Amino acid sequence: MSSEIYKEILIHKGAEASLWLGYWFGKKVIFKYRIPKKYRLEEIDKRIRTERTLNEARALIKVKSYGLNVPQVYEIDIKNPTIIMKYIEGEKLKNLLENLEDNKKDRYFRQIGTDVAILHKNGHIHGDITTSNLIITKGEVIFLIDFGLHDYSDTIEDKSVDLHLFKRVLISSHGNDYEFCFKAFLEGYRSEYEKTNKSECNQIIKNINAIETRGRYVKSEDRL
Amino acid sequence: MKKFCLGIESTAHTWGVGIVDFEGEIHTLINDTFIPEKGGLHPALVREHHLNNFTDVISKALLEANLSIKDINLVAFSQSPGLAPVLKIGALVARMLSQVLKVPLVGVNHCIAHVEIGRLMCKIEDPLTLYVSGGNTIISAYESNRYQIFGETLDLAVGNMIDSFARDAGLSHPGGPKIEKLALRSKKYLQLPYIVKGMDLSFSGLYTAAKRLLESPDFNNIYNLNDVANSLQETAFAMLTEVTERALAHTEIKEVLLTGGVAANKRLQQMIQYISDEHDARFEVVPLKYAGDNGAMIAWTGILRYLSEGGHEMTETIIKPKERMDNITVPWRFEKKT
Repeated sequence: MSSEIYKEILIHKGAEASLWLGYWFGKKVIFKYRIPKKYRLEEIDKRIRTERTLNEARALIKVKSYGLNVPQVYEIDIKNPTIIMKYIEGEKLKNLLENLEDNKKDRYFRQIGTDVAILHKNGHIHGDITTSNLIITKGEVIFLIDFGLHDYSDTIEDKSVDLHLFKRVLISSHGNDYEFCFKAFLEGYRSEYEKTNKSECNQIIKNINAIETRGRYVKSEDRL
Repeated sequence: MKKFCLGIESTAHTWGVGIVDFEGEIHTLINDTFIPEKGGLHPALVREHHLNNFTDVISKALLEANLSIKDINLVAFSQSPGLAPVLKIGALVARMLSQVLKVPLVGVNHCIAHVEIGRLMCKIEDPLTLYVSGGNTIISAYESNRYQIFGETLDLAVGNMIDSFARDAGLSHPGGPKIEKLALRSKKYLQLPYIVKGMDLSFSGLYTAAKRLLESPDFNNIYNLNDVANSLQETAFAMLTEVTERALAHTEIKEVLLTGGVAANKRLQQMIQYISDEHDARFEVVPLKYAGDNGAMIAWTGILRYLSEGGHEMTETIIKPKERMDNITVPWRFEKKT
């Protein structure tokens, strides 16, 4: 039995990929399969899905090497663009946040800030940091998942946008906790990033506000 | 008695005049488009063209609508975004008309006008709009009082990219329709860069790569212009479609509107139709006459703004060559969806 690789159930169907729960040599795994798109030429479709699968897998492996908690990649199936990776058993931060005690909230968000700072310092942009993409395990280990929109960049702008997106998510989905959580998050981020480059860190955080004042990201009530 | 708005479109190579009544009936739409003998659109030459032709076009429009200039109750003009020297002519003529006729004046954002004329002509209420032209590449939808931009190009507009490529291939302006025809003759795909960054697009690398294919010794040997045209279209349109689909999945909007000059392309229509069907959304292409730059869209959007906000003061009519469509609110849609 343990030598088998098989999908068990479909747990999520997104616009770009579907996620299956299954087993890989006895280990509980996620199959992330990128869905073919019929509107584009098969050649383009195949290439894009393969490229993105490889990029995501590479990013996961690279990021893991910095000691961050991201799913371990077990296998990459290029033929049917799929990443087979460790299933992280736990709860989405999104669902936990409301009932968390303040000291835990503080600890979690500080840790997330530190993790994101490590990503950024090494030139990785997650691209989709949301409370749905943060998993808390039973042992209270925080995992960052879904590197589908990952990109490499060393610019202040891209890093600020990454932080800004997280801020927007906190405001829109967790309005009551936003201030407390984002403050802890930034403190964690700052403490880690400042170890290597204090002025750059300041610029990144300052630039979040600059992004907000641009039309595209400003909430209507702040503008009217 | 019917009230009429005269709209002036002057953001790029089209000097357009449209006359629309306050009920939304289009009485005339006359375009005089600058076509360069060679090269692209030089702002100074476009400006000269518009200056030489504006009176003729206005007279022609009035004649066709069977109206006198005294019947005009409102003047609207394209205030943003576009080529500054060209925008200035439109603003100048509009200000002059408004003062002489003693009627209110209203400045209009060109991109919003594209969406509004599309809504009017296709009888569509709340669309996700893919607006693709020589100057713009924008995926937008109404949310929180304005037309929010969900995705856009980071560098070249897709129409500009195709036209530039066509020029490099020795085709005359406008190159888009010629590229479309050539592409139909090929089934071959040559690999080109496909750049989607989150919700945004980049076409500059694609342009350069396609241009290099023309310069390669393999050109007219292993592959020909038809093949490059096909590959260019397939890549660019797949990128546009991917981002549009994502916006569709995210917003769950049930109407898709395709507009702008590039909307005339059948292959692009086919792709957007495909994803619209998949998401159970109604798909409409704005008729070419109204999808390209024209004065009627400016007139209609001018009416909408005037009816909800009144006219603009002279000091508010300064041109804004870089204004984004999500910078301004669209009050006429406030009550429709909150």
